[in-house]
Amino acid sequence: MMPGTWLLKIAPLVFNERFIEIVVRPTIADLQSEVAAAGSNRTKRFRVRCRGYAAFWTLMFVAPFASWSEERANVASGLATGSVVVTLLTVVTLGRWTALVAVGATLVALLLHSWYERHPSEIAVPPDAWRSPQINFSSTDIAGNIGGLIFVVGSVLIVSLALPSIFLFLLAGGIAACFVAWGLAAWHTRAQRADWTCAGRPPRLLL
Amino acid sequence: MLPGKERLILELLVSEGPMFGLQLVDRSGGALKRGTVYVTLGRMESKGFIESEQDTPDPGAIGLPRRIYRPTALGERMLRAWATFTREVAWEVKP
Repeated sequence: MMPGTWLLKIAPLVFNERFIEIVVRPTIADLQSEVAAAGSNRTKRFRVRCRGYAAFWTLMFVAPFASWSEERANVASGLATGSVVVTLLTVVTLGRWTALVAVGATLVALLLHSWYERHPSEIAVPPDAWRSPQINFSSTDIAGNIGGLIFVVGSVLIVSLALPSIFLFLLAGGIAACFVAWGLAAWHTRAQRADWTCAGRPPRLLL
Repeated sequence: MLPGKERLILELLVSEGPMFGLQLVDRSGGALKRGTVYVTLGRMESKGFIESEQDTPDPGAIGLPRRIYRPTALGERMLRAWATFTREVAWEVKP
């Protein structure tokens, strides 16, 4: 099998067709031509293969940062170097496991970024544009169904894991919130108001 | 603005003629890297500074055909203009 054959197979998972044609295929073509030129000398072939694979994986690492615009491409090498330095610092300060998780998460993020570059999705636009976006939970539009319940419980669990010392506070807050919700529901039911949200939106269903 | 790597590539292509990417890396004296040279070349191609075509492989050759790069008229003009500009600026800032 020619060297670089499986690299060509995995490239479409990460790159778009144009990038493969302009960048990836020439890189692999160089690898193949150098291996062919190395002849039967095994040491030379091994060295050439190492150089070619190193070039390909450098490309894999740099490509998500690179674009055809100059300013972004210029910072690509800086980002790559910075990532290596941060990884090494993480290994030294926080241990290998944390560094491994961080690197894994970064790779997944890069993969997701590349995937959405290839398959751009439409940005979700909320139907009610009257809300001003804020970075807090009160402005997050959550459906009053099982999905919303999972979101709330999940959020509380995440915060509890991050800050175990305030677990009792969160638990007490959750119980108090349930009582308040129950009181509001009872009050709205007694007042026979269909509009629970007071915002002209349809009533929310628990399930 | 003509970045350093793009200027180097244009200078090599103008002075030494059409080349493969790997030849550019070899002739650059370490300024161009194997892993990123094609990103730079692709960007220059999209700007219209260079053009490329697939090399015709020798009969019996195996593997993917390589791309050969040559400067466009725009690229050569850009290189001349940049050289003039830097010369003028250098003259201006001389003490």
